[in-house]
Amino acid sequence: MTRRKEIAMLEVTTDWYLSLAAILFTIGFLGMMIRKNALIMFMCIELMLNAVNLTFISASKHFGQIEGQVFVFFVLVVAAAEVVVGLAIIVSIFRKQSSASVDVLNVARG
Amino acid sequence: MWLEVSLEFIFLLSIFLPFLTAIFLFLNKKLFNELMTNFFTLNAALLSFAIAAYSFVALALNKFNGVNIELFQWISNPDISIGFTLDGLSGIMLILVTGLSFVIQLFSTSYMEKDENYSNYFIYFNFFVFSMLLLVMSSNFLVMFFGWELVGLSSYLLISFWSKKPAAAKAGNKAFVINRVGDFGFLIGLMIILDNFNTFDFYTILNNTNEVSENTITLISLFLLLGAFGKSAQFPLFSWLPDAMEGPTPASALIHAATMVTAGVFMLVRISPLLQHSNLASLLITVFGLITALLAAFSAINQYDIKKVLAYSTISQLGFMFIAIGAGAYVAAIFHLVTHAFFKALLFLGAGAVIHSMHHEQDIRKMGGLRKQMPITASMMGVGTLAISGIPPLAGFWSKDEILASVFANGGIYYIFWALTLGAAFLTAFYMGRHWLLIFEKDNGFEHSDINEAPKAMTRPLLLLGIFSIFIGFINTPFFHGLEKVLHVNLEYVEVTHLPEGITLIVLAVLSIGAGFTGLIIAFLFFGIELHKRIDLQKFKLEYPIKLIKDLSFNVLYLNKFGNLFFVSGMKNLTRKVAVVVDGILIDGSVNFVSTAFNTTSKITSTTQTGMVRNYVVYFGLFLLLLIVLFIATPMLQS
Repeated sequence: MTRRKEIAMLEVTTDWYLSLAAILFTIGFLGMMIRKNALIMFMCIELMLNAVNLTFISASKHFGQIEGQVFVFFVLVVAAAEVVVGLAIIVSIFRKQSSASVDVLNVARG
Repeated sequence: MWLEVSLEFIFLLSIFLPFLTAIFLFLNKKLFNELMTNFFTLNAALLSFAIAAYSFVALALNKFNGVNIELFQWISNPDISIGFTLDGLSGIMLILVTGLSFVIQLFSTSYMEKDENYSNYFIYFNFFVFSMLLLVMSSNFLVMFFGWELVGLSSYLLISFWSKKPAAAKAGNKAFVINRVGDFGFLIGLMIILDNFNTFDFYTILNNTNEVSENTITLISLFLLLGAFGKSAQFPLFSWLPDAMEGPTPASALIHAATMVTAGVFMLVRISPLLQHSNLASLLITVFGLITALLAAFSAINQYDIKKVLAYSTISQLGFMFIAIGAGAYVAAIFHLVTHAFFKALLFLGAGAVIHSMHHEQDIRKMGGLRKQMPITASMMGVGTLAISGIPPLAGFWSKDEILASVFANGGIYYIFWALTLGAAFLTAFYMGRHWLLIFEKDNGFEHSDINEAPKAMTRPLLLLGIFSIFIGFINTPFFHGLEKVLHVNLEYVEVTHLPEGITLIVLAVLSIGAGFTGLIIAFLFFGIELHKRIDLQKFKLEYPIKLIKDLSFNVLYLNKFGNLFFVSGMKNLTRKVAVVVDGILIDGSVNFVSTAFNTTSKITSTTQTGMVRNYVVYFGLFLLLLIVLFIATPMLQS
């Protein structure tokens, strides 16, 4: 009982969602910086995009406005398109060097 | 009404006909062979001459009161328009240029035969005739300036016609550059005129000479004089003309003897109402003319190139014309211009015939005794020689005598000038006598059995010009002042120096004939019977002076070398220094600085482009962080 009460006392405010989104975004960003496997980096990008989506939805709920949720759909569509193109690129990279590491792809270095 | 108008306009046709011919020949260059080219250019030249003669007769019936035709007004203030005029002065030049153009083109058809650029020659030639007519027929300084520049261009084209010869290409450049010095003066003169008179029209300017101060007139005259010196090859801008002999001989006959080089004389006569207001300018013209006449005559004494003798002779005769202008004898100047045009064209064409027969040998030391092989050429050149030497009743005598008498009539210091001019006349007879004798008489030990008389297309123009060289002098004798009547409109505001009368005139004439005969006789003694070989020269200790004279004459008093040393190499050094400092250090330096600056900065910044995606993500993150910080910090700072 007491435990249920405790749980009921813990009110999940917008801040929680925003913090979660920030954490997710940071994880995604760090992943981008650290990992060199193209597939993992791709997943990191997806993570960041969804963190942003979460922010949109929380803000939308917080302010009681629908536009944020509309934007999420846009982001989802763009992400889907990006997945298609991005995966195709990754496949061709893999075919070329039989690994998905992006560090070898430094032809354009200064 | 229509008839009147067409009469006035018809002389424009003879100006533009050569231009149209040039364009026509140019367009059909590939299509026409030599015969077709001849057909069109000769007929056009003849037609042009016929129209010119017709206009001249119409002008004569109008008592030589000129007509002005303004084609259109270009700018209204200052008044600048494109217009032409037909008066006595331009009428004479119109006849002269178109007539000689026809005769010399006839000669050229034979001389230029089988040249690989045959039609080009006639294109340039017609273009020159057009430019010259533009120059002489203009009714204002602007059109004259157009013609002035265009004759320079076409002269350049014809001098370096055989541009495969380095000497010809060089000579063309030299002529162009030296003329540029003169043109610069001419242009400045024109600017001062426009500033003072607010128009370029000859008659407006020349009728209003009293409105400007004498100093301004002197300034204008001096600058225009520089232009005349350049175009007419007067000292010190004369050295281009002997080099211009690299061009085809008929072109030299028309351009560098008969017409273009007289443009300076023509222009000075045109502005004679201005000139007579400036004593300084007149004196300078006489002095420089005299220097030129003597210097060039002296230089002609020991030249060995058949054309160079004639070139120096031309310069010297132009000097005579300048003397006449300086002495106020404008009619005599034009008179000498006309007679000189005929006998010098004759001499040049004769030289061309000799060169042609000698298979392009121009050294007179390798000729000699050609009289038997080329009787017509020899006799016609003999006529030319007598005419230029001033032997009566040939053309040269009348004009030269008139110049001498007019100089004498001025009195004062002009007595000295007269004596020196007489000396130049004596030298003229001497070097021309030598020229003829060395080519046609003296045996130089060369076998000439394979030399034949020039073809008919060459001898006919010679005969024609020979007849004119004998009789053209009668247009203006002391008994019949024909030319003065022709030029009366041009000299309306001018005080022409009048000839002395009676016994003085006869004495002067006898003296001038004497100078001519003495010159010829001395030439005969030296080069005909070779007196100096029969007597012992060492007895008179004359060997060294004669050698010195020969040396100085051949090298034109070393003026060319002097000029090269001071002006050309000085200029070269200067430009070289300018090239090193301005071009090398300033311009190259700044360009190099910019390029190295870009290079260095790009090298530094390009190190950030590692090609590693992770690095880019880091940059991206850093800048995002910066943006967030700014986003938070800015409102805080503002509040």
